[in-house]
Amino acid sequence: MKTIYQLLLLTFAAFLPSATVYGQIQKAEIVATGLTCSMCSNAINKQLKSIDGVDKVDTDLNTNTFTVIFKPDNTITPATLKDSVEKAGFFIGSMVITLSLDQVMPKDNAAVEANGATLVFVDSKEKILNGQTRLKIQDKGYVTQKEYKKLQKSYSKYPTYSVENESDFHVKVI
Amino acid sequence: MVTSMLCIPAVAQLTAGSALPKLTLTSSAGQPVDLASFKGRVTLVDFWASWCAPCRVANKKLVKLHNKYKNQGFEIVGVSLDKEKAKWLSAIKKDKIDYVQVNDPGAFDAKSAIDFGVENMPASYLFDASGKLVAINPSEQQIINEINKAK
Repeated sequence: MKTIYQLLLLTFAAFLPSATVYGQIQKAEIVATGLTCSMCSNAINKQLKSIDGVDKVDTDLNTNTFTVIFKPDNTITPATLKDSVEKAGFFIGSMVITLSLDQVMPKDNAAVEANGATLVFVDSKEKILNGQTRLKIQDKGYVTQKEYKKLQKSYSKYPTYSVENESDFHVKVI
Repeated sequence: MVTSMLCIPAVAQLTAGSALPKLTLTSSAGQPVDLASFKGRVTLVDFWASWCAPCRVANKKLVKLHNKYKNQGFEIVGVSLDKEKAKWLSAIKKDKIDYVQVNDPGAFDAKSAIDFGVENMPASYLFDASGKLVAINPSEQQIINEINKAK
């Protein structure tokens, strides 16, 4: 009996992706850019509110930031948010996501899964992450064009960065 | 029950021909102001907020326009959607606005913004002397034409 139990455990273990860590995104802080004043339009607000899984959207007029609060078990990815902002006629200037992590070491190129997307750590202090963590997305389309040009050079050491895979996000702990 | 349900307004966005809505807000002088009371004069209802940079640019033009035509039956009502009253009042001072100013603190969720259908700021609504909406975001020339028509 004991051996069967051990065998079962081993079988289960074999199906588990060995080192995958999961997290659930709870919040995103977005700064939108464009030719006109992003806060002077209701369009971004409306688009963000219409996303399935968004609980509420707050705006901070001093920092021009839209804070999007997600419902539990949402499946919103950074790409969903970017699409909404672009549908409203604006671009992402910066996006910071908040998720809860449990004993994660943000080593270069280490990855966590969140809401079906892969988050790859870059450019972060090697300090174990526990609890609410804010991560800034560094990919093309999630930073300003100018910033992206700079990052392209300094991030050449991250092999996946230049691939620009749309479901991989390179994140910096902030 | 049925009547109360019928009273819930549908999306009430103003279109050409709509009447100046009956809507009372508090002015910068602390007085209640009913928009409908402006019927009889060519009136521009201007939605803005202190934090809206393009609105502040527009304010300068509106102040000039108002000074030029205020004695010819022209009125401007500024509706600020500022949530912070102090910032609204200091913007009025800074922009030297002397036309009627009211505050509806709720940004795009304010009742007046929803009633008028304001989606972007600045947004202005021109009403003719009979109190009917004639243009949304009119040009200066359109406003002047309306003032001349009413003479």
